[in-house]
Amino acid sequence: MDHFKDLKNTLSYIHSELNRMETMAGTLSTVEREHFKRLTNFDHRELMDIAVEEQNAARQLGTMKQMCLAMAQKIEGMKKAIDRGELGESAQHDTVH
Amino acid sequence: MIRFIENIIRSAVNETIDKAVTRMIRDQYIENLFEMVPATTKVGPTNLMEIAMRANQGTPVSRPLGSPIHLSPWEKILFNPCHLFRFPTPENVGIRTSITIGHRAKKPLTISIPIMIAAMSFGGALSKNTKIALAKASTAVGTATNSGEAGLLREERDSAQLFIGQYNRGGWMNTPDKYKQLDAIEIQLGQGAQGSTFQRTAAKNIGEEFREVFCLDKGEDAVIHSRLPGVNTKDDFIQLVRRLRDETGVPVGLKIAATHHLEKELDIAVEAEVDFVTVDGAEGGTHGGSPTLQDDVGLPTLFAVSRASEFFARKGVIRDINLIATGGLVTPGQMLKAIALGADGVYIGTAAVMALVSEQMVKAVPFEPPTSLVVYTGKMTDQLDVEQAALNLTRYLNACVQEMEHVAVTLGKTAITDITKSDLCTIDPFIAKATGIQLGYISSENQDRFFTETEPMFDDYHSPYNQNLNVLPVYTESQDRETNPDKISDQV
Repeated sequence: MDHFKDLKNTLSYIHSELNRMETMAGTLSTVEREHFKRLTNFDHRELMDIAVEEQNAARQLGTMKQMCLAMAQKIEGMKKAIDRGELGESAQHDTVH
Repeated sequence: MIRFIENIIRSAVNETIDKAVTRMIRDQYIENLFEMVPATTKVGPTNLMEIAMRANQGTPVSRPLGSPIHLSPWEKILFNPCHLFRFPTPENVGIRTSITIGHRAKKPLTISIPIMIAAMSFGGALSKNTKIALAKASTAVGTATNSGEAGLLREERDSAQLFIGQYNRGGWMNTPDKYKQLDAIEIQLGQGAQGSTFQRTAAKNIGEEFREVFCLDKGEDAVIHSRLPGVNTKDDFIQLVRRLRDETGVPVGLKIAATHHLEKELDIAVEAEVDFVTVDGAEGGTHGGSPTLQDDVGLPTLFAVSRASEFFARKGVIRDINLIATGGLVTPGQMLKAIALGADGVYIGTAAVMALVSEQMVKAVPFEPPTSLVVYTGKMTDQLDVEQAALNLTRYLNACVQEMEHVAVTLGKTAITDITKSDLCTIDPFIAKATGIQLGYISSENQDRFFTETEPMFDDYHSPYNQNLNVLPVYTESQDRETNPDKISDQV
């Protein structure tokens, strides 16, 4: 039983950190997007390339945000499965076989 | 001095053209060079040259980049901006561009933009440098690139953050040591420009590295069979999908040429529980398919996407199986329309290659085509600057996605994936009927009334064709004027 309590605590920790990472990715994505806008104000080819990099970074941070969200949902599902005793049953079933 | 030379040249040109025009006016057609003009107009410049090539070579012409015929009327579909009934998206809101392929897989594939680099193989199609440049650009924008029908090219795998590999009919990626290194597996059974026909790269065109990557013996041709080895029944395919999914955990998909049998093919893909399906429309490119396969085989991309998406919705698997559209998608507008019609993402091939060589094509023209810098058998592949090529493609992809984002803003959407058929209208009643996109001529409320009232007109229109074909022809305004001059004015 303690084993599952530990697992649940670990999952809770990962869940909260994923939520934090999601927020950070969202914030950084906004910052990168702002940088893109500012850099495109200059009529300079090299700065334009940096702006494009910033834009791509903004989109990838947006993707990270989505990935964190998806993983947090999966972990939430696992936590609920532990609460319902489903994970325990399945683990015991595996042990028997 | 320069003025003097210019005057001489002008005078010579004037004299020559005067004589040529005079001869063309006086000579009978049979001995007149002007005959080339009506002949070319009648046969078409591409067909004229290909007739000459066939006559010269005696073998099917190997035409790179796919068919010049574009049968997907994307230009007849338009997006609907909003102002008040739904407000446009504020400019400080970022548009979500990422998509996830294979939700049910153990390791889904999430890409940052809905555009991926299409399957173009090393050796069979492109040079190693080109493949590396494509991989680098895809990594820079956070998307995936595709191996094409090839073995595992180590440098390409290392340069690509996300790498989709084709389990192919040549068998070169079909061993666990190779396909276990992929981020998604696409089982390749066909492609838009070539259907499911066999292909062969002659040993004389196979260099040492090509031979190594494809594990070929010296002097051995590289053969793509018409069937996937070991897959001769529906159950063989289902077993293969399950085996690959269990062994790797990555999304496993199917790539087929779009055909009028689409739903029958997709039904088996649904039964096999594939994670994604790539439909390659008739406009799809290739490294060098024969013109007949390119021009006369397959279903246009627009209708393939619409039909596939509708089929998945009807089967209730639209959230389980991702639809990837490819084949002749050149502009961001076309790509986004494919997404609005139900595709989750798109592959681009020709456009990506053109973007890649854009600034460097001056190295090749006017004496060689730009493709000589990128195709495996090209004369100038060693002159391609990989970093510059990757940068150009990165810029191009960024520009495309940004243009898509602009459309999303005007539609009041916050994610590219939220754009649907309801954001479109069409100016072609046949497309409206075929795809379920509303007809732009009349208000949403009057759509049914319009089609009920004009039903006799549609019957009149298709009846002469229907006698033999039992299908509705693709509507064109000129055809309608020819067949029914009165009705077109009624309609407008």
